[in-house]
Amino acid sequence: MSSIITLEPADYMTVAMARLIQDGERIFHGVASPMPAVAIQLAKKHHAKKAVYLSIAGTADAVPTEFSRHTTAGANLREGAVSEFLLSDIFDLSARGGLDVAFLSGAQIDEYGRLNLSAIGSFQQPKVRLPGGAGSAALLPTVKRAILWKTTHDTRSLVEKLDVITAAGNTEYVITPLAIFKRGKQGKLQLYSIFPESSFDEIVEKTGFKVEKHPQYHVFEPITEREWELLLEIDKNGSRFSEFR
Amino acid sequence: MSKQTSIQEAVGTIDNGALLALGGNALHRSPIAFVFELIRQGKKDLSLIKTAGALDVDLLALAKSIRSVHAGYIGFEMFGLAPNYRRGVQKGEITVHEHACASVIAALRASIYGVPFQPIHGFQGSSLPELTGLIKWITCPFTEKKTAVVEALRPDVAVIHTNIADEQGNAYIDGAVFEDLIMAKAARRVIITAEKIIDSATWTVQPQIPGFLVEQVALAEKGAAPGSCAPLYSIDEKEIHRYLENPQAFLERKVVVSHV
Repeated sequence: MSSIITLEPADYMTVAMARLIQDGERIFHGVASPMPAVAIQLAKKHHAKKAVYLSIAGTADAVPTEFSRHTTAGANLREGAVSEFLLSDIFDLSARGGLDVAFLSGAQIDEYGRLNLSAIGSFQQPKVRLPGGAGSAALLPTVKRAILWKTTHDTRSLVEKLDVITAAGNTEYVITPLAIFKRGKQGKLQLYSIFPESSFDEIVEKTGFKVEKHPQYHVFEPITEREWELLLEIDKNGSRFSEFR
Repeated sequence: MSKQTSIQEAVGTIDNGALLALGGNALHRSPIAFVFELIRQGKKDLSLIKTAGALDVDLLALAKSIRSVHAGYIGFEMFGLAPNYRRGVQKGEITVHEHACASVIAALRASIYGVPFQPIHGFQGSSLPELTGLIKWITCPFTEKKTAVVEALRPDVAVIHTNIADEQGNAYIDGAVFEDLIMAKAARRVIITAEKIIDSATWTVQPQIPGFLVEQVALAEKGAAPGSCAPLYSIDEKEIHRYLENPQAFLERKVVVSHV
């Protein structure tokens, strides 16, 4: 690259998501999911050309040319699609074992890759009422593998104990601004990779559950020139930054 | 006979305490004009059904028009949390019937099929079934497999904002239909609002909602604004920010409440 660029966590996280998508997989993201939306297109243009993109916008395999900084359920996510495939079809697909990847998130995530999007405090008398888990309670146990992400990495987000278990199931990876976790022995998340600006000690300090290295632990491969070009081309509006405030 | 009426008259048929399914998803093609009119007429104790709700649910929470919400997600996506819904729940004024979006759909399907409940694959390991009572576990009488079931949700009224409708209630949605066709089939009554009302002899596209299911149809130009109604208009970001900064001032600008 000709000029020096400062990479942001959103850049690492989006590229990390894209790299975890395999060719031919059927992939879903829901509301408020700008990084997954961009990452799916990045994967499809980079190494997973036959991956199938499914979203709330209700079509199979759209090729959006623009991403919003406010929504991931809009008409832009229908662009270039040929056939209809509704949200209800996606849930049915997952229920019968036909959905490969779902991108999901939570306000809290625990070491089993379970998530809370329901409430902080008790469910019945919450200190903070959260939006709700959207599709996650049905998708997480039925999708083949879920990739969770979280835009903050601290002991309030990655917790020992969830206030409410909104959803549990087939979490394979959790991606944060600092690191990637992968499910390992006894179904527990283990440290899979660290992004360049972080360190093992920082991860341990900022994670609410015990951090152990995954057998496949490795240094995050630098973002390639090709990935970077595609990322800029796909996400012209910088929608990937819109979850960070 | 024409089913066309005004939005005021259509809202006038809604009883306090009614169970309403609202079409659209998040900030897209929700029946916002209808919601404003519900608030103007001072409707109370409503219960709402939505897979993913946003401004529609939050406005009704602000106006203290709702007592409960059946939904998978209520929030403004990347704009942030739904402040009035959140406050209403935290104060104990609004009961959250927290579903997964898929179980809202399954509950509506039970009504479509005319059965009291619907099996659904999911919820293993989730605390929601125990916390909400909405999901119960039964043993399949054929396979003896443990299966989650959800009780039928039969909306009193489904309110769906569409691009084009005719005077007989046939209605066309340009773009994502979301869960609207499911809501229309599950509800006791269907009210359509539309950006444009045409003569039924002049259709050039095929309506997805058949008029025989629809009771009333009302014109509502920009009826989903400041949310989107593709391809006519997208989310008015400034208006959403204005709402979130001062919801009460936003509401007062839009609605003069008739009962105070």
